[in-house]
Amino acid sequence: MAKRIAVIHGPNLNMLGKREVGIYGGKSMEDINADIAAEAGKLGVTVEFYQNNGEGELVSFIQQCRGRVNGILLNAGAYTHYSVALRDAISAAQVPTVEAHISNIYKREKFRHTSVIAPVCIGQICGFGPYSYILGLRALIEERLDPWLA
Amino acid sequence: MKKKSFLVISGPNLNLLGARKTSIYGEGSLEDIHKGLQLRAEELSVQVECRQFNSEGDIIDSLQEAPERFDGIIINAGALAHYSYALRSAIGSTLLPCVEVFISNVYAREEFRHTSVIAPVCVGVIGGFGKKSYLLALEALANLGGA
Repeated sequence: MAKRIAVIHGPNLNMLGKREVGIYGGKSMEDINADIAAEAGKLGVTVEFYQNNGEGELVSFIQQCRGRVNGILLNAGAYTHYSVALRDAISAAQVPTVEAHISNIYKREKFRHTSVIAPVCIGQICGFGPYSYILGLRALIEERLDPWLA
Repeated sequence: MKKKSFLVISGPNLNLLGARKTSIYGEGSLEDIHKGLQLRAEELSVQVECRQFNSEGDIIDSLQEAPERFDGIIINAGALAHYSYALRSAIGSTLLPCVEVFISNVYAREEFRHTSVIAPVCVGVIGGFGKKSYLLALEALANLGGA
């Protein structure tokens, strides 16, 4: 059966393409989701999309991912930097999670240099614009597969 | 059109991959990574040149010469990532797009590894995906200016 990946966008990502396009680019969240869906098609995986501005809603959704999806691709937006609740939800879900960011958070304000969710994720990809999500998807579905090492 | 050419630099102790701390860094040698990068580069119609140095000065020399021959850089600076301001300056001076790579998830490890002084002068960072981090970085570089 095809792997199922949940793509989760946190607060303000529904405003992509409409706010601060200098940082986040001109693509809307719907455009980005379409690109992710196209890549998922090529890779033979099923993707589902979820966006919410509320921390509690994101926590509930991540909890419900447990045992239901094979991986989570998460851009937690600003919650990345302070939501210990989100971190606990990721830990509890026991689903391999990849953290993605559109911008290079290390080039920006100091409060964005720390991710409280990073320690419970497999890894982090940031700075490549919407392509960060594509790389994140590839990282997830090929997790622990090093075919070129075989 | 001339193929894009990327320089891949691995820093101190990465020559020991596969021989030390395999629970963190996995099996397989740096040579295996370099072979994997060459294969992926062919698929992406780009070129890669892979180098490893234990010495900070040698990495800086290599970075200073990079703009003459390369269109981008992939760097796994190893422990230097966390404190080498000289490396940061050298990367910044190249004016080339640079992608920072880690094999392990540095944020799940000791606190001194949570800061990268080179990340702010890189396009982006990819870490935690084992040796595949390098391959993803190559895809990221090859795609820059694309999608």
